[in-house]
Amino acid sequence: MDKMKSTLQSLLQPLIAIVAGLVIGAIAILVVDGNIIETYREMWNGAFGNMYFFTSTLARATPIILVGLGASLAFKAGFFNMGSEGQMVLGALTAAITALYVPGPAWFKAIAAIMAAMVVAGLWSALAGWLDSRFGMNLLITTLLLNYIASLFAGYMVAYPFKDSTTNSALSQTQMIDKTLWFPKLFSGMTLHIGFIIAIVSTIGLYLFIKYTKKGYQIRMLGGNPLFASYGGVNRGRLMVVSMLISGAFAGLAGASDVLGTSYRFLDGSLVSANYAWTGIMATLLASSNPIGTAIAAIFLAALQTGGMGMERNTDVPLEVSSIIQAVLILFITAKFTISFIKRKKAGAKDGSTN
Amino acid sequence: MDQLIDVSLFAAALRMITPILLAALGGAICARVGLFNVGLEGLILVGAFSAILGNYLTGSITMAILFAIGCSLLFSLLFAYMSINLQANVIVVGIAINFLAAGLTTFALRAIFNVKGAYYDKDMKGLPKIDIPLIKDIPWIGDIISGQSILVYVSIIIVILLQIYLYKTVSGFRLLAAGENPTAARSIGLPVRKIQYFAVLLSGALCGLAGAQLSLGNVTMFTEGMTSGRGFIALVATMLGQSNPIGVAGASILFGFMEALSYRLQTFSIPSNLSAMLPFVVTIIAMIFFKNNGYKDEAKKSNGSSR
Repeated sequence: MDKMKSTLQSLLQPLIAIVAGLVIGAIAILVVDGNIIETYREMWNGAFGNMYFFTSTLARATPIILVGLGASLAFKAGFFNMGSEGQMVLGALTAAITALYVPGPAWFKAIAAIMAAMVVAGLWSALAGWLDSRFGMNLLITTLLLNYIASLFAGYMVAYPFKDSTTNSALSQTQMIDKTLWFPKLFSGMTLHIGFIIAIVSTIGLYLFIKYTKKGYQIRMLGGNPLFASYGGVNRGRLMVVSMLISGAFAGLAGASDVLGTSYRFLDGSLVSANYAWTGIMATLLASSNPIGTAIAAIFLAALQTGGMGMERNTDVPLEVSSIIQAVLILFITAKFTISFIKRKKAGAKDGSTN
Repeated sequence: MDQLIDVSLFAAALRMITPILLAALGGAICARVGLFNVGLEGLILVGAFSAILGNYLTGSITMAILFAIGCSLLFSLLFAYMSINLQANVIVVGIAINFLAAGLTTFALRAIFNVKGAYYDKDMKGLPKIDIPLIKDIPWIGDIISGQSILVYVSIIIVILLQIYLYKTVSGFRLLAAGENPTAARSIGLPVRKIQYFAVLLSGALCGLAGAQLSLGNVTMFTEGMTSGRGFIALVATMLGQSNPIGVAGASILFGFMEALSYRLQTFSIPSNLSAMLPFVVTIIAMIFFKNNGYKDEAKKSNGSSR
């Protein structure tokens, strides 16, 4: 009974948040003189209307899931890794450069590109972890600042040394990578690629890692109660660097999957403007850092975005309505702490303990 | 323009220090009552947009500034309600505020001005520039200090007022006490929640001013996400200055100067991507000299103060 109640409770929260998001979204639609039902229907169709749109939603969700998984691992350990964006950008840049310039057969190049992306992004992320554990520099702030540095650096790399000089395009981008390296599509004529399978496998892998391994237990303990963890002999500094390394590697994988599966090159600003990284962080927050929940939330948020695009194509309502809905979702999901807080208060009153 | 350092560089620096300084002071007040305000970035963005909107609607600078303060206040009220009343995680609320600010301003840009990306009106009047008599006649210094927008001078006055308020008045002492040890403060009858609300709202007002300086200070325009990390730099300035107004001012001067320098370096054919990194790199290096509160202290504090 209690268990059912708690499951219900955990389902109720996102539901309230979703309803609140849709209500605020409806107000925004009214403001621009849109028809609410019509707009939401277009949104639904844009996300799930037919096989093509549905697979596009899943394709968009792929990097979001991977980034979200990385963030969820760091959050589980109690580290606010806000640097997913920079890590993902560096990963994508590395993947593109490796795919272009490393010699060898196609399969080797593709694997090298993925590996290099994960290593570079992981190290960039671990740097922030190391700065925190070694110098006591607040991780939240350093990761945020490192985002800007990473994006600017990547922008420089593709504007000067690695700029695509084969076309007359003024865009800052690398050359297109060889067709033999492209991720195979899951269905012909659709945008969904094998990266989605990688994302799902990673989701299950991370879930099992956190739940069943010793390191996973240490990570959960550190996030749940740092004092208890240190009493139990957990080396916080080392665990911080390790979990940031893995967290960044996931973001790097997300970048590589975008380059090899969707863009086929690194274009300055494309990952930042698509907002993959922050959406991934939102997905994790929505799912309170549960890997499987993160994947589901990522698909949901991706659907909001592809739906928003469909809505903009077919109505006069601007795309930004979906970003408002997302923000409201996050804001209301934080109110979750409220109900558990009230519950704790009540429980305290019941057994007569002080409050 | 082949000189790296000249008068106009310092004048530009003073202009760029102001938004960072105002926001950082807001962050400092919040930090003093134990709330780490990650939402500064969003609050400034709201201020910047509503300053332009207020100016567009009323045509009056005073109204525009008041409107900016009002809108940022509203947002900070949301922050305060979520984090104080609903006991939500302050950092998550701050991030949510940033998202909401980015989404709403972009949406409103489309809905109200019917443009995408940026709104620019060359006929719109910016913040008045003030020439200070006597000082403006001093060579060098006059060119730097005089002729700045009114908010530049306001920010300097606010630093002094806040310093006096926090360390010389009873009410300021109570604010410090409420942050230092909420349980003890409550036990002697201090209205801790009210004090926290006051601090968050004050930071909202300051961020509104910061936004107004950003969008109306030099050019009168609003671009999507025009804060571009200033809120986070302000957050670091807060920490570096140990949440002490004079210290915060010192840190803000450093970062504002770096920002001005990064623009100047572009005229020396240094790629803009590289020169724009300067403020962020310097900020990170500066953080080495700031020691975080040990995480154990923080964990103990949050355990001890929650009930």
